[in-house]
Amino acid sequence: MIGVISYLVFFATVASILAIAVLGLNLHWGYTGLFNGGVVAFFGAGAYGTLMLGGAPQPHLGGFEWPWIFALIGGVAAAAVLAWIVGLLTLRLRHDYLAIATFGVAVAFENTMRNAQGFAGGAQGIRGFERPFREFAGNGLGWNLLYLALVLVALVATYLFLERLARAPFGRLLRAIREDEEAARSLGKSPARIRLTSFVTGSAIMGLAGGLYGTFYAFVSPQDVLPILTFQIWAMLIVGGAGNNRGAVAGAFLIWGAWTASGWGLSRFAPVDWQLYAGSIQWVLIGSVIVGMLMWRPEGLFPERVGEDRPQTGRTT
Amino acid sequence: MIQHLIDGVLVGAIISLGAIGLTMVMHILRFANFSHAELLSVGAYAAFVLGPLIAGLSGALEAGIGPLSLSWAVALAVPLAMAITGATAVLLDRIVFQRVRAKGGELSMVFASFGVALVMRNVIGLIFGLSPHLYSRDIAFAQIISYDPLIMVKPDQVAVLVLALILMLALHLLLSRTTFGYSLRAVAENPDLAQVTGVDLKAAIRAVWLIGGALAAAAGVFYGLTNQIIPVMGRDLVLPIFAATIAGGIGSVYGAVLGGFLVGIAGNLALLVLPPGYTPSLPFVIIIAVLLLRPHGLFGEARA
Amino acid sequence: MKKLLLGGAALMALSVGFTGVTTGSAQAQQCTTKIGAVLPTSVDWGRPIAEVAQFAVDQVNAAGGAGGCQIEMVLRDTQVDPKVGVDAARALVDLDGVEVLLGAVSSGVSMPILTSVTVPSETMMMSCCSSSTAFTNLAEQGETKGLFFRTFATTGVQAAVGAKVAADQGWGKVAILYKNDDWGQDMARIIAADFAEAGVEVTGSVALNDAQPSYRAEVAQALSGQPDAIYLALYPAEGTMAVREWIGLGGTQNMIMANSLKSDEFKENVGLQYLAHAYGTDTASPRAESADAFVEAYRARFEAEPTGPGLANSYDAAMLALLAMEAAGEGATGPQIAAAIPRVTDPEGTPITADTAGFAQAKEVLAGGGTVMYQGATGNVRFDANGDVSAPAVIWKFGESTIEEVQYLPLEEVNAIMSDG
Repeated sequence: MIGVISYLVFFATVASILAIAVLGLNLHWGYTGLFNGGVVAFFGAGAYGTLMLGGAPQPHLGGFEWPWIFALIGGVAAAAVLAWIVGLLTLRLRHDYLAIATFGVAVAFENTMRNAQGFAGGAQGIRGFERPFREFAGNGLGWNLLYLALVLVALVATYLFLERLARAPFGRLLRAIREDEEAARSLGKSPARIRLTSFVTGSAIMGLAGGLYGTFYAFVSPQDVLPILTFQIWAMLIVGGAGNNRGAVAGAFLIWGAWTASGWGLSRFAPVDWQLYAGSIQWVLIGSVIVGMLMWRPEGLFPERVGEDRPQTGRTT
Repeated sequence: MIQHLIDGVLVGAIISLGAIGLTMVMHILRFANFSHAELLSVGAYAAFVLGPLIAGLSGALEAGIGPLSLSWAVALAVPLAMAITGATAVLLDRIVFQRVRAKGGELSMVFASFGVALVMRNVIGLIFGLSPHLYSRDIAFAQIISYDPLIMVKPDQVAVLVLALILMLALHLLLSRTTFGYSLRAVAENPDLAQVTGVDLKAAIRAVWLIGGALAAAAGVFYGLTNQIIPVMGRDLVLPIFAATIAGGIGSVYGAVLGGFLVGIAGNLALLVLPPGYTPSLPFVIIIAVLLLRPHGLFGEARA
Repeated sequence: MKKLLLGGAALMALSVGFTGVTTGSAQAQQCTTKIGAVLPTSVDWGRPIAEVAQFAVDQVNAAGGAGGCQIEMVLRDTQVDPKVGVDAARALVDLDGVEVLLGAVSSGVSMPILTSVTVPSETMMMSCCSSSTAFTNLAEQGETKGLFFRTFATTGVQAAVGAKVAADQGWGKVAILYKNDDWGQDMARIIAADFAEAGVEVTGSVALNDAQPSYRAEVAQALSGQPDAIYLALYPAEGTMAVREWIGLGGTQNMIMANSLKSDEFKENVGLQYLAHAYGTDTASPRAESADAFVEAYRARFEAEPTGPGLANSYDAAMLALLAMEAAGEGATGPQIAAAIPRVTDPEGTPITADTAGFAQAKEVLAGGGTVMYQGATGNVRFDANGDVSAPAVIWKFGESTIEEVQYLPLEEVNAIMSDG
């Protein structure tokens, strides 16, 4: 029983961290219509930033032993600065062009982290990070519970922030630009600046998720910032329902649940002879679940709410 | 330097073939099809299965063609693999994409295609195993074209380049000289208007999948010939193919060809300017540079 | 939000009930102990590593199990994704209650599993193949609590022996091709230093990234230094591609290979005729008749040679973990099992072979309070205080049907080369 609770706490922590990243992406895509294909770069900037600022000295750059909360803020700032530079360069691109450009940024980010051994530890990654609050929360379930609480606080705060933003004039502006950029411009608004603000804000949220992720594992390596994470986070948003923050959170729990439960189920119920092939079968299952969801309910579990906003019908062509 | 350029052209030919099909699908169906590169695997494995079967008909077919490591049997398997892969593409559209298209937006299509890619890649891995296969175990030796500067070219790669160019030329003639090609272009420009003028939209979509799948199969076999056949080859090629498509401009067949060569050459020249570990980044740097100058790719047009 | 929470609670209740039922039925069976394995079974080189671990478990079960119970290995795929691997390890520890975890392969997956799962929950972890030096550092700081072991000894040993091969063969200029991951980067760095020590010039060191569609440019780059020989720290998939390209472009057939290329697949796809001057390095079994047990049993079971990256290491990891479970007795916890490792790797102990008979013999000796010396597939395994192993080394070549031994280097000689270098 204690094992089940322990596992669920762990699962909820990872899913909540991913949910924060999905919320950041929702600001990009759901609110502003920015096709960010490089989620993992901003997530990674947050994780690497936090661990480099908060870790113990290592052969590579970093190890400044900042107090955790400042290190985390530093990680978020790193993601925001990266997003600002990337945004200035690429945000005038549209649709698939923006997606491939940001994707390229993510590939370059992973590549740099993998190769720059003196800067970020290379393929070995960054460790030597002391998880916060271990003195009084210990190392076991107690710490995990405390950390889950912290992550939930961050998740709820992000959620409320975005909900408030959606209702604020700025949120209406975002949607106006998403739906009809010319009209917004004719009203004297600068779409480029507003888009950049949204891009930086959403990326900072992804950086927060990355910082929390790095803290949780006390380790980050290039394997954490492979493109598959971008796909996972997008799948969560699409399945949950773009434009809807509740959907984004639900999508994160659902997709991550399906992802892990498929492996667990196969290890438990598949015949022994199949076990070796379970890895490949699991990928087939994951792919099928995503395809099935999109065939069955392509608007996501929680579509963007009508009345508060126009439903998104995909890009008009 | 010249050697790197030549190598880049040879690699680029394969990427171009993949990018042509992708750019047509992206243009007419308006979604980024992540499963396109898996069609290369389907084609490569189809030829891998069919080659020995054809060789079984006559022992003479097992021999290589001239100096190539490509045997007659595998060469004869290529058209069959193209047909099979084209049919697979049409079937995938029928089973999955048509339904998603009917209900969902563009993004649903993108992610459905990603899911399809995962399923295809791993089903291939389950059937054929995860280790690489080869059409022929003979190693193709490079011929020295020039000693100063040292330039070496493999006969296989020249053959692949020539075949790829022939396929591209055939496609060019098909698109520019036939009524069928005209109706395809009409659909691409404006599906609604094309339908009004009597073009069968469904037939056009089917044709796009067929052509895209067939070219992908050829690219897959060529890749298998010059490298190896492995279930993850689609994963490894999807990014270069996308990069080529985007750099060329979505919808432009000629852009895709040029984009393919651009990505191939960039990948080979990367080592001259960057340490080896960083080479995967360079094609993207070039793509970003191209897009900064031309936000819709080299030959792309702005879409409303 | 409320609906969501309710849904979550329902889901939680459901899964709790579900797990309750299944563990209940498992307990009703005859005594079975689960061990966990987190390995990348969806990756080409990962699947055989899992297969051979299961093979070790089958042999132990044939000898009557370990710790008084039959052993069930619960295998999870890591997808080489740290998130997925850590989740799998968590589920194995929390839901399946394993005390022993085999894996992972990539250091980038093993490291977060170690720091966030096995150490906090006091589970013994035995990795076959994680090579990163970071584990040694972590152990030196006492962070692993003696719970982490790995049967992968080869980075330093292989580099030292590889440099010796170049010097012995009189190859003065060598180019390096390495896999651009933590193992490859370590390997390239150490071998370059060892070459320098041995007076061998390194003409170029070129990284091969995973998932690259072609390695032609990299190979051409390595070729441009006109080396006498090439050093290969690669896995079979990219190794095959790169070496075929290398030979096709007229590169020298003088090669030095890390043990990851000790693979039939690599030999067959490159072609034996091109590998006449290719020397491999590896850790070795001691000169005892019994050391062939693993090879023979493997041939009988799989009708193939036990070659391929990590196979021998994976087998030994599983065997050692199970021997330690046997030594620790029924119901032992992770730390107890970890503490029993010295009893099964005691150089003064009774030598036992790596097969069913050996395990059965070990059971008797351990039951009598004695200690055993496991003579495994990677050699006479002995762990130091940090859970790292040292072993004799061998230089090998590909032969018609088997791997041919060129030279055997006993442990003393290996240590001598290592301290020189």
